[in-house]
Amino acid sequence: MEMDLNETQPTVVVSSPPGRISLRPMTLSDVDDYMVWATDAEVARFCSWEPCTSREEAIKYITDSVLTHPWLRAICLEDDRPIGYILIMPVDKIRKEIGYVLARKYWGKGFATEAVRLVTAEVFKEMPEVERLEALVDVDNVGSQRVLEKVGFTREGVMRKFIVMKGSLRDMVMFSFLPTDPFK
Amino acid sequence: MPSKETDQENSKESSSKMEIDSCTLKAVSSSPSEKIHLRPMTLSDIDDFMVWATDINVTRFCTWEPYTSREAGIAYINSFVLPHPWLRAICLDDDRAIGSISVTPVDSIRGEIGYVIGSKYWGKGIATEAVRLVAAEIFKEMPEMERLEALVDVDNIGSQKVLEKVGFVREGVMRKFMYLKGNVRDMVMFSFLPSDSLL
Repeated sequence: MEMDLNETQPTVVVSSPPGRISLRPMTLSDVDDYMVWATDAEVARFCSWEPCTSREEAIKYITDSVLTHPWLRAICLEDDRPIGYILIMPVDKIRKEIGYVLARKYWGKGFATEAVRLVTAEVFKEMPEVERLEALVDVDNVGSQRVLEKVGFTREGVMRKFIVMKGSLRDMVMFSFLPTDPFK
Repeated sequence: MPSKETDQENSKESSSKMEIDSCTLKAVSSSPSEKIHLRPMTLSDIDDFMVWATDINVTRFCTWEPYTSREAGIAYINSFVLPHPWLRAICLDDDRAIGSISVTPVDSIRGEIGYVIGSKYWGKGIATEAVRLVAAEIFKEMPEMERLEALVDVDNIGSQKVLEKVGFVREGVMRKFMYLKGNVRDMVMFSFLPSDSLL
């Protein structure tokens, strides 16, 4: 089941307690907020993409890759301005992969954890065919590993030399969350 | 444990296309009770193929059901075996196939190993020897490959033991990872890297 942004109007999902973060589709008008994290080399460090270098590049990326994505949500604070985004990618008919990025200023406050918790709950409701939600995290990306552990993902193991990231072979930690798993 | 000697009958060109028709890997070893070698599989192996492919004990953890007709077996050899980038018959001294082993690219750096042996030959160390031969040679034959992996059903203890005996690393159980005959199964992920040591 693919989330076609044109056909389904995803409702705004608000976290509890209310007022912490909300999730909504991203739009081109988010470009300046997008650039805050997309130009940051620290943020890009474990991402497959290089830091963004211009507003034009950002507009192009949002148009080509973000707005077309089957399931992507801006992570917003109370003022409805995005501080990052979270997305779901299909791996196959029963497996989905979760990914997220947050501006550095907002690291260490539990926002990513809250976003992952919200999205994980939503995915199993919206996509009943999904048997497994997984995440692959670089061995050195300890912060992101903690996010998943705090939500209740199971750390299944380290897959050695699993992917090439910016020209290097990386070991990746595999995490999963099943519809039957409890949230922490 | 004596070290394994491998003997290749023909020298190979850089064989990233895997057209090694005359490549034979032999093992001289005291470990399995019978000596085995690997060679390409052909249509003339059809009757030996049918011995293991019709056996429900053999297919238990395979994604496919037992074969019920020679025609289907021939179709399988034509459509899957012959075009496969790296698949070998596992043979005893009489050069007759008792199973097969393959390495299938997952992406540009990962290959997945799979193997099947006729049940009459289980418990003799044959699969272990076949996997060991492949693990020893495959990185030379596929130099772009950085990781050889295997996914084994949690209940398939025999196959897990094969990989452990060769020296594969058991990385973890991937829960609800894939469908096997209508059920979503937990699978154990194993890997072997070019830098790993064979046991």
